Amino acid sequence: MTAIDTDNAPFERPVASELRRGMADCMPVLLGIIPYALVLGAQASQKGLTVAEVPLMTGLNFAGGSEFAAIQLWTSPPHVALIAAITFLVNSRHLLMGAALAPYLRHLPKRKALPALFVMTDESWALGLADAKARMARGLEPAFSLPYYIGTAVIFYFSWIFFTTLGAALGPVLGDVEAYGFDMAFPAVFLVLMRGMWKGFRAARPWLVSLVVAALTYLFVPGAWFVGAGAVSGLIAAYLLAGDE
Amino acid sequence: MVDPLVLLTIVLMASVTYATRIGGYLLLRNRTLSPRATAVMEAAPGCVLISVIAPNFVANNPADLIGIAVTLLAATRFSMLPTVAIGVIATGLLRHFLG
Repeated sequence: MTAIDTDNAPFERPVASELRRGMADCMPVLLGIIPYALVLGAQASQKGLTVAEVPLMTGLNFAGGSEFAAIQLWTSPPHVALIAAITFLVNSRHLLMGAALAPYLRHLPKRKALPALFVMTDESWALGLADAKARMARGLEPAFSLPYYIGTAVIFYFSWIFFTTLGAALGPVLGDVEAYGFDMAFPAVFLVLMRGMWKGFRAARPWLVSLVVAALTYLFVPGAWFVGAGAVSGLIAAYLLAGDE
Repeated sequence: MVDPLVLLTIVLMASVTYATRIGGYLLLRNRTLSPRATAVMEAAPGCVLISVIAPNFVANNPADLIGIAVTLLAATRFSMLPTVAIGVIATGLLRHFLG
């Protein structure tokens, strides 16, 4: 009976149920993303971005950490090269994430894999990879379920655009957010993101180098040089420290 | 509504980000990174984030310095929303009472 039903609906059943499964699994994560999106939108409007520019950025770029970094450094007019370079550095982790996902994408043609990677975020990557490992353990083929992954990614994508735009629209209503300590939202978000990347004190030593160099550069050199100086010195420290294992 | 220079910045950000998303898949799927390169890649996002907020750690008034310390402590034990709330409220109160 079940077999006949499945045969009668060869297209609709698996894909739709996999999509729904992905959407359901991302709901708890969404609760953490919504406030974060609202804060980004509100801060972007404080920095002078319009309600049209915010969804343009969050829809085309779709990488929250780099958007927070860009907004933090935003000036009018923006430092185009600085923001592009910082975006690359913040998102360089995608290179490792894509490499980790690659073995699971071998069954997909590039015309499907490349668009699917456009919506790869920390969250959809983590859910998709964990699901692929669970399916592999149960002997399901292919291990990576594209509709499941797309289900999570699509919810994240449209929620991110919607709530950052809502934050931008509400930003002017909130007024000068700095007066009440709202500017501390940025360091708070960054520190929580870093806690998520934490792999012990040894692995975090380059971060300490970055902090010290960036802080000293900020105190003694005018302009936004502190970001580049801090980031580069941390990367050099990571390169040198990796040799002593 | 959309400033040309803002549009250029956004398009560059988007291109750079998409390159990082497909780059790992296209370049690294059939080889492995050296441990040293992996260590640098793993450290990079944290190095950038801490550099961007470094000025908060050398603020020139006690209210902001205590505020960042409270926020750092909150970030080690709470998720995004409570951490942001604690950081903002603590800093707002500290600025009010310490000036």
